[in-house]
Amino acid sequence: MANITKKVSWSSRGDDSGLTGEGTPLLNGSEIPKPSRQLSGSGSVFRIGRFSTVDLEDDITSEEDPIRGRPKEIPHNEKLLSLKYESLDYDNIENQLFLEEERRMSPMGFRCLEISRWVICGLIGILTGLIACFIDIMVEKLAGYKYQVIKENIEKFTEVGGLSISLILWAVLNCAFVLVGGIMVAFFEPIAAGSGIPQIKCYLNGVKIPRVVRLKTLVVKVIGVICSVAGGLAVGKEGPMIHSGGVVAAGVSQGRSTSLKRDFKMFEYFRRDTEKRDFVSAGAAAGVSAAFGAPVGGVLFSLEEGASFWNQMLTWRIFFASMISTFTLNFFLSIYHGKPGDLSNPGLINFGRFESDSVAYYYYEIPLFMCMGALGGLLGALFNSLNYWLTIFRIRYVHRPCLQVMEALLVAAVTAAVSFTMIYFSNDCQPLGPERNEEYSLQLFCADGEYNSMATAFFNTPERSVRSLFHYQPGSYNPMTLGLFTLTYFFLACWTYGLAVSAGVFIPSLLIGAAWGRLCGILLASFTPTSPIWADPGKYALIGAAAQLGGIVRMTLSLTVIMVEATGNVTYGLPIMLVLMIAKIVGDYFQEGLYDIHIKLQSVPFLHWEAPATSHWLTAREVMSSPVTCFNRIEKVGTIVDVLSNTSTNHNGFPVVVQVLDSDEPAKLCGLILRSQLIVLLKHKVFVELARSRLSQRKLQLKDFRDAYPRFPPIQSIHVSQDERECMMDLTEFMNPTPYTVPQDTSLPRVFKLFRALGLRHLVVADDVNRVIGLVTRKDLARYHLGKHGLEELQLAQT
Amino acid sequence: MLPYNLYLFFVFVAIDVPSLKCGDVVHLSASESADKLEAVPSLSTAAVSSPVPAVDTGFSFSLLSSFPEDLEVSDYCSDLLHIFGQRYVAYVNCLVPAARPVKVCQSCYSTYGSVVEIYKNISSDQMGPGNVTCRDSLLRSDRLMLVYQLYSNLESLWEDSNCAQCVTGDLESLTNDTLYFMSTLNQTLTCFEKYQQGNHTELCKNCKSAYGTLNVLYSQMEKNSTLCIDIEDAMNMTRRLWSKNFNCSFPREENVPVIAVSSFMLFLPIIFYLSSFLHSEQKKRKLIHPRRAKSNTSLMNIQDKLS
Repeated sequence: MANITKKVSWSSRGDDSGLTGEGTPLLNGSEIPKPSRQLSGSGSVFRIGRFSTVDLEDDITSEEDPIRGRPKEIPHNEKLLSLKYESLDYDNIENQLFLEEERRMSPMGFRCLEISRWVICGLIGILTGLIACFIDIMVEKLAGYKYQVIKENIEKFTEVGGLSISLILWAVLNCAFVLVGGIMVAFFEPIAAGSGIPQIKCYLNGVKIPRVVRLKTLVVKVIGVICSVAGGLAVGKEGPMIHSGGVVAAGVSQGRSTSLKRDFKMFEYFRRDTEKRDFVSAGAAAGVSAAFGAPVGGVLFSLEEGASFWNQMLTWRIFFASMISTFTLNFFLSIYHGKPGDLSNPGLINFGRFESDSVAYYYYEIPLFMCMGALGGLLGALFNSLNYWLTIFRIRYVHRPCLQVMEALLVAAVTAAVSFTMIYFSNDCQPLGPERNEEYSLQLFCADGEYNSMATAFFNTPERSVRSLFHYQPGSYNPMTLGLFTLTYFFLACWTYGLAVSAGVFIPSLLIGAAWGRLCGILLASFTPTSPIWADPGKYALIGAAAQLGGIVRMTLSLTVIMVEATGNVTYGLPIMLVLMIAKIVGDYFQEGLYDIHIKLQSVPFLHWEAPATSHWLTAREVMSSPVTCFNRIEKVGTIVDVLSNTSTNHNGFPVVVQVLDSDEPAKLCGLILRSQLIVLLKHKVFVELARSRLSQRKLQLKDFRDAYPRFPPIQSIHVSQDERECMMDLTEFMNPTPYTVPQDTSLPRVFKLFRALGLRHLVVADDVNRVIGLVTRKDLARYHLGKHGLEELQLAQT
Repeated sequence: MLPYNLYLFFVFVAIDVPSLKCGDVVHLSASESADKLEAVPSLSTAAVSSPVPAVDTGFSFSLLSSFPEDLEVSDYCSDLLHIFGQRYVAYVNCLVPAARPVKVCQSCYSTYGSVVEIYKNISSDQMGPGNVTCRDSLLRSDRLMLVYQLYSNLESLWEDSNCAQCVTGDLESLTNDTLYFMSTLNQTLTCFEKYQQGNHTELCKNCKSAYGTLNVLYSQMEKNSTLCIDIEDAMNMTRRLWSKNFNCSFPREENVPVIAVSSFMLFLPIIFYLSSFLHSEQKKRKLIHPRRAKSNTSLMNIQDKLS
């Protein structure tokens, strides 16, 4: 019994990532860490009474569960925290090596560092712009080719009959593109699926998502997004651009590529999480900026979505990166379009300029806009709920790569089929105008000289459809066409998001919104007797697009600025802001934003801006994990190796304690050391005995730690002989001598604030005589969230 | 000074209220004129010319009298102006009847040429007889710049109609492309006329080749951008005749196969999801079930304590 107990309590030393499913409901967990066992049962009863939200079922099962803690299987749901996610080390480790290096560095060296930060930001901008340019051109070429082939085929078969063959051709072409993209994503790099914004958001929040900023991910992402857009799925290429920007930033700032095994011996100082994370926020900004031609929007996106650590210089650098990115994109696109030097064609998605007479809006339209905002919020919440259920289904049942590819193929085929049917049965014919030359207009059964209006919406890349919805003359679309289009595209987009292809949700949302917004404009104009000049459908399309996008992704500040910048029109700032506000308020009432849903479904320990409300009564004592695995300042190598290689306790940070000699007093905290550091130390065999015998041995420098970053070898790959196990290791030089500590009565919000504001990874809980009694990590904090019935607790799980 | 006075004068005639807008001096003179007006109460605006000279004795005021010699437009220039007017009228006279159906390029290119020519003369900076150039005196001596505006209106009309694509560079004749198109168009129209009476299906069948040639020719010209408004309009009319009047568009007659194929495709995902749902349920062990171990330490601690 004692043995088992030990094992269990061992497992509950949930350090950064405790044991397999250390998921203890709060009810039980609150009791663990009490080292002072005088807290009696009444205390726990009190807790139970207070914590009425704990599922009764959970309660029972936990009691019925065998004490050994046999893993219990439950289907995937949103109330889990995965063990595979770890924190980034944002906090600086001010150990002696660091101080030494700082001493050695001249003022000139610091200046150089500052300059190289700027150089890196410039490079990030340029490379991101180039990638955006590449994606844009490739999509245009491939989609153009595809639509040309299908168009010719349709024209041929309209005449002689056999249009179902065109339908099949369309579906097959779609599937071919999606097949390539799907295989790339599903088999080579699953993290590249989706828009990548949730992942980047998590990264900027301080969560290390495995493989999210690797070169391979970038390659898969770029090819994947080209394939999925060219494959006619209801997706956009803007979200992936943001992810690509992040990867570029993470790569460039390191001055080497671990995947290619090339080290350029540059920027070595930046090889740590702190610097990398700052650069990734610059990269994300550059991505937004390239995608929408919105440099300021990009900076604000980084601010809103991620960077918790913000200062004026960093902001300015990020702005620099995003400006450079827009500039690069414009420059190369101008060359591509045969107008070298023309820098006025910004953004992957160019909403086009609104003509001056259609931009006018009047005060009496504001309520209308706000109603549209509310509608956008409702539709967005519906979209998110549907997608939520779909994603849960996918996680539970469609998890094998081949199934995922098949699903993507099916979606591609169905998209083609539905689009074709819509076009085929549409009776909405509009005359060809001079401005319609650029796209692939289909005539089908329309009179000569007219085109099928449904085809401009379906038979086109989504972003061109957006542009035509914004800018075509009033009367270019039937209300019927728009209604049907909105309906089908809504479900198609909802179905598509979350597939194993890299694809963004920005453009589909804009498209849905633009369609129903335009519909609103047309209906308004028809309700009022003397067709008023203010009911310009294009304007309402813009407002609808903003409302729908706001309703789905729930971004506020950055989205307003992005929309304003992408349309190149500050005049609409006020209505867009109002619409986004309303959409967010209405949407939040029903369902979270799409990105938040996906973050939750991936069980990421995400820290929001604030601790959940009504959590002040929780103290560090209840929150922390305990007991903690500690090391002595001079520790036996064997112990360290054993602790590190214990697979059940994949801890990442260890408080270092010092035992006062010849006394019964418990050990006192004197520092904190990370697993990565220990591994480097073991690798270099920094043992006390060896140092004595070989005086000439090179002293370990900070550089050795940086060289191993970011892929520290696993402990299994480090060979320690039996003799060496008996050696001692002195951690004094390497540990962080001043870790942050809190007393055990600190409230949860206070701990939370420390974590969020300082970017901590471990927070030691110490008592009044500086003994370690617990350790708070990200997962300990992230598990509390405010659910529908009050404070709820997430469970840890192995995924 | 003078224009102000005049302006105020009119104001007084019209509303008879002391103006507060102007400076003192002007105001004074204005009230002066008002006084004078009271002396002649029956004056109306029509009588402007007679009281005005009396207002400000220092200036010559007659609108009819001529300007000094050096400010006058020379005879040469006024001749040019006259010719411009005539040709302008001729061109407009030509344009208006050609508005519907549009034939502005075919019928009026030569008159347009003459307008262009005379305007060139006016706007050239070459000295005419008597060492005068009319450019400055006719085109830009005043704010209105009437001649220039009139001409630029015509020019923008010409540009909008894309007539330059159908007319040779020297505005002498229509291009060969245009003529060829017109003859093809005529063939088609004759064909239409021939079969117009009877059944339209007959027409659709028989004129299909002529119409098809025309269509091909048109799209070819569209690619080469040798279209002008005449051709576009003629083609539009023909297409409308063909599609709307004679109803020769392609009928929608493949509903069944299209519906069959697309509903088959719609059916696939249902099978897929159903099968993956059922299939996966059978192999439930293989699912990635998040594992949750109950470590129950607290319970055990309590038990420890109790025992």
